[in-house]
Amino acid sequence: MAKTPAPIAAKLALIVHGDMGIISGLQSVFNQNGITTIVARDLPTALLAITQHYFDVGVVSSRIAEEGDGWSVSGVLRLVFPNAFVVVIAPETDVLTLKAAINNGVNEIFDKERSPQEIAQTIVSSVTAPASKRPSRTVQ
Amino acid sequence: MPHKPSVLVVDDEENITRTLQMVFEREGYEVTPAYSSAEAVKILENGHTLDAVITDLNMEQEDIGLEVARVARGLKPPPVVVICTGFANLKNSRRALEMHVDYLVSKPVDIEELTSALRRLIARRQYTTKGPR
Repeated sequence: MAKTPAPIAAKLALIVHGDMGIISGLQSVFNQNGITTIVARDLPTALLAITQHYFDVGVVSSRIAEEGDGWSVSGVLRLVFPNAFVVVIAPETDVLTLKAAINNGVNEIFDKERSPQEIAQTIVSSVTAPASKRPSRTVQ
Repeated sequence: MPHKPSVLVVDDEENITRTLQMVFEREGYEVTPAYSSAEAVKILENGHTLDAVITDLNMEQEDIGLEVARVARGLKPPPVVVICTGFANLKNSRRALEMHVDYLVSKPVDIEELTSALRRLIARRQYTTKGPR
């Protein structure tokens, strides 16, 4: 009898971003790879979603309503879901951005110029790889 | 008796190490001081069980604190790792992110920021390694 592949446990991603183009780009790749998404376009919605769901992935803009407020959301995601893969999309990668990423337990930072499909594909590869082969926290 | 959290403080500037030792002992920690990265690595490799390591970055060599962080991250369970530096740059901050350093604090150190971050990170570590109580 042919072996059937083991089912992949459904994963849930929280996208916290204000740009519809980025949201839909991320969603299309996530959905193709069996990752369900919940979208929050503001801080209260993001925090409410965190209280209501178990997230495996978090994709957060560093700027939601004002510059830098996305870091708090990434910190809350790390605190509530210690094993989640949390990434932040930031306008630039300078020392302060790196410091914010470290201090909020972010796995990866992506430059906002990267295409959302490319960002989502990198995340999918990271979260579907066996734990031993997962890349460490990096800057892309 | 409640468990006293243990912290290794590493800095080649003796006055900084002693000040941090005093601060954390007052906060109820058991503090082990080390005055070089080599001394810190020796302590880490000797099987000391630690809840946290706070290390300077530039000691015997530039960015050598990252080696202390790397050895600490390899322990099972890994202690909370905090880098304390006045010389953060793109290269060393990127490496710190890649090796999952838990916190990066700039010198001069804001003691309130450091003590509160350490308390939070140790609590999180205890929760994730032992589960909720």
